[in-house]
Amino acid sequence: MDLLTAPFEATRRHAAPPVWRPFVAVSAAMLAVVGAGRFLVERGGALANLGVALEGAGVHGGFIAQGLVIALAGQGAWVGSALRIAAVLMAGFLLGRLAPWGALLLAAAPLVLLHEGRRHPRLSRIGALTPVRPASLAIGLAVGAFLGAHLLITASLTFGYGVSVVGVGVYAAAVAYDVGANALSAEWLFRGALFSHWWRHWGFWGAAATSTGLSLVRYLLDPALPHTAEARAGAIFYLAALGVATSVLRAWSGSLLPGYCASVAFFAAYRTLVVW
Amino acid sequence: MVAAPLALLVALTAAMLWEGGAPVSPVRHLFLVPGVWAALTAGAQAGAFVGVMAGFLQAPLVLPAIERVGLTGGALDGLVSLVTPAILGAVAGHVRDQAFAGARRLDALLEIQRRLAADAPLASRLDAVVDVVRDCLGARAVGLVVGSPEGAPAVASAPRGAALAPGSAAAWCLASGQGMRSRDLAGDPRVALADDSSPAPVRAMALPLDAGGGSRGVLAVEWRGEVPEATARAGTEMALHLALGVENARLTLRQRRFAAELEEKVAAATQRLRDIDRAKSEFISVVSHELRTPITALEGFSELLLSRPVSPKHARRFLGHIHAESRRLGRIVTELLDLSRIEVGVAPVLRRERVDLAAHVERQVELFAGVHGGHRFHWQADSALPPLDADPDALDRILQNLLSNAVKYSPRGGEVHVRARPGPGGFVELAVEDQGVGIAAEALPRVFDKYVRIANPETASVRGLGLGLSLVRALAEAHGGRIEVSSQPGKGSCFRLLLPAREGISPDIPAI
Repeated sequence: MDLLTAPFEATRRHAAPPVWRPFVAVSAAMLAVVGAGRFLVERGGALANLGVALEGAGVHGGFIAQGLVIALAGQGAWVGSALRIAAVLMAGFLLGRLAPWGALLLAAAPLVLLHEGRRHPRLSRIGALTPVRPASLAIGLAVGAFLGAHLLITASLTFGYGVSVVGVGVYAAAVAYDVGANALSAEWLFRGALFSHWWRHWGFWGAAATSTGLSLVRYLLDPALPHTAEARAGAIFYLAALGVATSVLRAWSGSLLPGYCASVAFFAAYRTLVVW
Repeated sequence: MVAAPLALLVALTAAMLWEGGAPVSPVRHLFLVPGVWAALTAGAQAGAFVGVMAGFLQAPLVLPAIERVGLTGGALDGLVSLVTPAILGAVAGHVRDQAFAGARRLDALLEIQRRLAADAPLASRLDAVVDVVRDCLGARAVGLVVGSPEGAPAVASAPRGAALAPGSAAAWCLASGQGMRSRDLAGDPRVALADDSSPAPVRAMALPLDAGGGSRGVLAVEWRGEVPEATARAGTEMALHLALGVENARLTLRQRRFAAELEEKVAAATQRLRDIDRAKSEFISVVSHELRTPITALEGFSELLLSRPVSPKHARRFLGHIHAESRRLGRIVTELLDLSRIEVGVAPVLRRERVDLAAHVERQVELFAGVHGGHRFHWQADSALPPLDADPDALDRILQNLLSNAVKYSPRGGEVHVRARPGPGGFVELAVEDQGVGIAAEALPRVFDKYVRIANPETASVRGLGLGLSLVRALAEAHGGRIEVSSQPGKGSCFRLLLPAREGISPDIPAI
């Protein structure tokens, strides 16, 4: 028991680790890469595909790198880990532009991140390495599937949106994007780094509300989100519900995996929604 | 625990669909039931969860209607129906949780008091208490330290096996009497954890057990994850109750010890009273015998003188006997009178005057040597012996009693040494030492008590009232002095009389 055994010094104060410097550096690099990608896309031509890949890798790799900086308190070899995961994402996005099945390479990103997590034991603080029971994963999948199914039913009954899989390759590429980039980067940053950090200081509800709010901002700024009012209202409702649910799963299981499964299941359902 | 309410929810949704799926269907009111059911059976979280699920299941029926007809009164009613089950479930569950937590806390507090007061070793009592605290607070670990940092405090923990490290938070709390709280031990700069990789925050608090009389120990509690404020408050309450319990246990222990001591003292006093009672009975018997002997002699000789003509020679002899026995009778009566004065707490009346102790003792020793030719008396006085301010008669009686005892309890031919010299602290010391039967060590404290005659087969035939030494002590104390005895059975005894020297003779004589 730590209170009885661990050394204690009543007057010792916290030496704030220099988190903000690497965080700003990562954010700047992220913006630079995304800007370069945007430039290449708008310029068109042969490098447009590279621009799209740069945008995707820049955003999601940047989120993951920010999560690494926060989780490792700005210390350790986070740069190498961030570059490796960004390289995998870059390759996945680039291959996805060249061939629909190429995006499946993105599905390797979680494995790379898991490998990076094993190199940094401190990442267990954000739930990256916590052993998880299969039942927890099943519950996570069920939560995501329920929210996704609810979204599909409500959207189709209310707005008449369709539910269909246009093509297996396209659908697989979209799900691979969620598995390796979208859901992965969101869970890693918002639930893993930010929620875990704030949970220790503010308690569950403060941390869940803040991290969910930030993730909502991230999705509302996403240009891929349909611009209709009902789509945005639905996004706010379902992503908020998903954020709270994944926060609950993170706190309950101690691991990021059940929440990640819920996100993947939800977005897998969302990819079948056809907005007229 | 929520499976049955969820099943009911699904059934209600099916019923609503079967009825046509109207958003203002009367069935919607029944959606409150599963949330309240879950809340009452499993608490606020379950109630809120089932209530949220009720809202989710109704939403596909309510929202299309709003899209079709706009935000009418009926649609608004439907929207309210979406959120009401969640709110009601959470509120009902919260009320239920509060009631249950209060009852559980009360049970735990009573259980703690009961365990602390149990007649069992301290370690097992503390183990039982930490188990109760841990169960009640839902804590990851609980530690209880009872005692002071100077001593070896008793430590109990759940899970078992944790020991108190000198530099730990609990040790600091014990030494300083201050409490300590942490929102997360792993991120707390004051605590140096060997492993800070816990995926959840570890909330912790160490509270001094202080019921107002100073810290009696520490209660340390660690939780994993969320800790409701009510639970933290319950921990604080438990620390206070533990402090009271420990204080009560301490007082109970002290009371038991006191009661045992009192019992011992009462038993000793009772035994002493019995001894005194027996001694008094013996005393009455001895007194009767002592009085009867001279009275018999007086009766006999006076009867002889009265009943027949006696020659002047014989008459004188008889009158001599009558005189001697009268004197003896007088001595006995004087001693009894002195005793009665001592009994009622009146100090003997002294007629103090300047007394030359050496001359006084020498005369008494010569008198005794003349009467008791079978013993050899040795008298030795220091040349610097100061005079005393004492009652000469009382001094005579002291000497007579001490010398008489020395003779009575020494075999014929034994030596009696009498020494007088300046003693410590302005006192004059007079020692009477014999080579008699001696006194057993366990009997020494009682030799100066009234009516006490130490049982010894070798001295059973010695006559006496058991008053002499108690009279000696009373007279010595009336002079501001004291009497001491040392003895070795079979080798003899030594009585040391210490009397204050006459004031003004020696500057270092203390006022007594």
